[in-house]
Amino acid sequence: MRLPLTVIGGYLGAGKTTVLNRLLSEAHGQRLMIMVNDFGAVNIDAALLESRTDDTIALTNGCVCCTMGADLFMAIGDILDRPARPDHLLIEASGIGDPAAIANAALTEPELAYGGIATVIDGLTWDTLSQDAKIGAQIRGQAEAAQLLLISKSATTPAFLPDRTTQNLATQVPLAPLLLDQRPVSTPSRKTIPHPAYTNWSGCPARSMTAPDLRAALNTRPDSLFRLKGWVDAPSGKSWEVHCVGSQTDIKPAKRTKAHLIGIGLAEQSDPSVWQSWLTASLC
Amino acid sequence: MSDITVFAARKIITMDPNQPEATHVAVRDGYILAVGDAECANPWGGGTLNNELADKVLMPGFVEGHAHMMAGAIWDYTYVGYHDRTDPEGQHWSGLDTLDAVVERLTEADSKLPKGKPLVGWGLDPIFLSDERLSRRHLDAVSADRPIMVMFSNFHLLCANSAALDLVGYGAHTNVEGVVMGADGEPTGELQEMAAMFPVMRRLGVDFRALSLREDAVRSYAKVCQRVGVTTATDLFSTIEESDIGLLHRITADRDFPLRLVPALGTTEAPEANAAKALALREQSTEKLRLGAIKLMTDGSIQGWTARVRWPGYIGGQPNGIWNTAPDMIHALCLEMQRAGLPMHIHVNGDEASEVVMDALAEAKAAHPRPGLRHVLQHAQMMDAPQFARARELDLCVNLFANHIWYFGDQHVAQTIGPDRAASMDGCRAALDAGVNLAIHSDAPVTPMGPLFTAWCAVNRQTMSGQTLGAAQRLSVQEALYAITLGAAFTLGMDHEIGSIETRKRADFAVLGADPTQTTPETLCDIPVHGTVLGGTVHLL
Repeated sequence: MRLPLTVIGGYLGAGKTTVLNRLLSEAHGQRLMIMVNDFGAVNIDAALLESRTDDTIALTNGCVCCTMGADLFMAIGDILDRPARPDHLLIEASGIGDPAAIANAALTEPELAYGGIATVIDGLTWDTLSQDAKIGAQIRGQAEAAQLLLISKSATTPAFLPDRTTQNLATQVPLAPLLLDQRPVSTPSRKTIPHPAYTNWSGCPARSMTAPDLRAALNTRPDSLFRLKGWVDAPSGKSWEVHCVGSQTDIKPAKRTKAHLIGIGLAEQSDPSVWQSWLTASLC
Repeated sequence: MSDITVFAARKIITMDPNQPEATHVAVRDGYILAVGDAECANPWGGGTLNNELADKVLMPGFVEGHAHMMAGAIWDYTYVGYHDRTDPEGQHWSGLDTLDAVVERLTEADSKLPKGKPLVGWGLDPIFLSDERLSRRHLDAVSADRPIMVMFSNFHLLCANSAALDLVGYGAHTNVEGVVMGADGEPTGELQEMAAMFPVMRRLGVDFRALSLREDAVRSYAKVCQRVGVTTATDLFSTIEESDIGLLHRITADRDFPLRLVPALGTTEAPEANAAKALALREQSTEKLRLGAIKLMTDGSIQGWTARVRWPGYIGGQPNGIWNTAPDMIHALCLEMQRAGLPMHIHVNGDEASEVVMDALAEAKAAHPRPGLRHVLQHAQMMDAPQFARARELDLCVNLFANHIWYFGDQHVAQTIGPDRAASMDGCRAALDAGVNLAIHSDAPVTPMGPLFTAWCAVNRQTMSGQTLGAAQRLSVQEALYAITLGAAFTLGMDHEIGSIETRKRADFAVLGADPTQTTPETLCDIPVHGTVLGGTVHLL
């Protein structure tokens, strides 16, 4: 099983740990591993706390928080080497870091799957900070690298944001469907619970495709289809495992698996019939 | 009363203005008891004469104020860089100026390596190679079945052979930033940045963490230091944990371990947590392990165009560099470390970075005045006279990257900041003229450790092409020797115990084959080093 990796980006104080906390307490049924620079900053709900050591906090819902130490990538390697992997890995990028520099590892490492970049935007300060002479270019880069922008601290959307799927954190909808891998495909016992804010969809690609053809087909997918995951037949008799988030596409070879795709989008923007038409035209 | 040993030397350069030269030094309990002639121990009842160093020149043990422990264990890998280097065991490795030579050296290493073990090279810098770029084709010629990777000198790129690429599954279908694709639609083997490099490194068992804080890495680092006369060296950006202390205590307590090690804890956590950790570490200090300093990164490197520079920026029009720590966080960290009373070594390459850091320190010092708490601007390569004047006003030290002039000076003239600003880079003279305490460094393994070479760079300011870059910034030999002894000791807050040969200080010496004050400045770097004395214990090579 590939381990999906989602990166949470955003400038200092934007609210990255707030997002992680919210995710930890949602009823998504997944065992999360969360890597942070400093878990002193993650205010874990005391009711969820099971045990803690110097660099790890275990929660009663199966989730684990750990500090990443100085070498993030080696720490990712350590997690992949664990006998029992979590269901999903989330990494909180540093306030100055380029989240893509971390998330790209999910595209290169065969044992990881791309889970996306969500950048938290401080709705109050963004329009000033993003134009700052010293730091502006670097934090604009964090937003540009993201597939999902999460607006904190303000009900209004800042003016200087790139065009991305956007969710305001004031809206009390579950974040798991946007940030985590959808689950019914390989673990039917832990199906994603549908929420009216989101539209779920599934379809069956009928064609066997080469990687470049598949990539070209996936690149024409409707923008409203925010996450897409599944398997498509490969000419070799094997399959391609597909993880799409926003405009990013992760295609990796996999053993033969029944071709099927599942997708999700924001309900207000979604029209499953459009998604189905795209599937029929491009993958069938 | 303990034994007194009187070391005789051909000459002792003390760096003590009260007695600049001597022939004998008396040592008791690891400390210098007296300095002078053969009778210097007589007031103390005399001592046992030791003639082991009688034909050598002694200087205070050199102090390397900016290097990394990795400089030792990196030699586990095969060196394929452009410049000549010497490994911790003293073996000379000639620099390689063509890719054919790189392939030849790797082929030789391949023939000595057990079957199944990956081959790892390091130190390649394409900026110095005029022929084509290293690709997997070159490395496939070394071995078709053994996985091979060559780490570039900047640690941001590597090149892998086909066997290593196959382990990951990189191929024509790969479509990821950082995996460089050739005209044939296949990966060239060059991998850029950690996300692309990490899957190969993981499968080849290359873990940088193993290059520091493991027993062989620590011992190997001490050998690197001993070979160049260094008795006190930093490890700037240490990831040291409470759990590493036992090992470090055991190693450094060993009488045969020839180094005072000064790890500076990297800032990887929230300011308060970092400060608490450093304060706890400080309590664990011993005479040969000095803990409690902080290392703060700010910007990148000038030759990588990632340093934050002021107007007019890079001559090629490259975008301004990147912050590794946000200016707001730099302010927060400076404030907290100043509050906690922790000395900081702050990496600033570009002049915008030094400006931001001085703003932050001015604020921190106003909030929490602590006279005597020394912070050091490290590299500080683009600071000009007004910035040095401000550093003086703020009581800051600088540790300038003198080796850069020789290694990268020509590149700075032609490619990064142009001839005028390159001529004033690493402005040792401007720093001294402003009254700032000055140290100079190697940043090993970025450039090889060797304080006499570093002093030579500061004195001659010669580049690899033979040009003199910025003659106005040259130091005298005496000033350069000060910078690698007392100047560097001051930046570590250790000038009261090391850095000169005078009574009360620790008996730490560099054992030299010639007198640096009597050779021509052009040959300062050729003076042989025969080893060190640490706390009165002789460690000859």
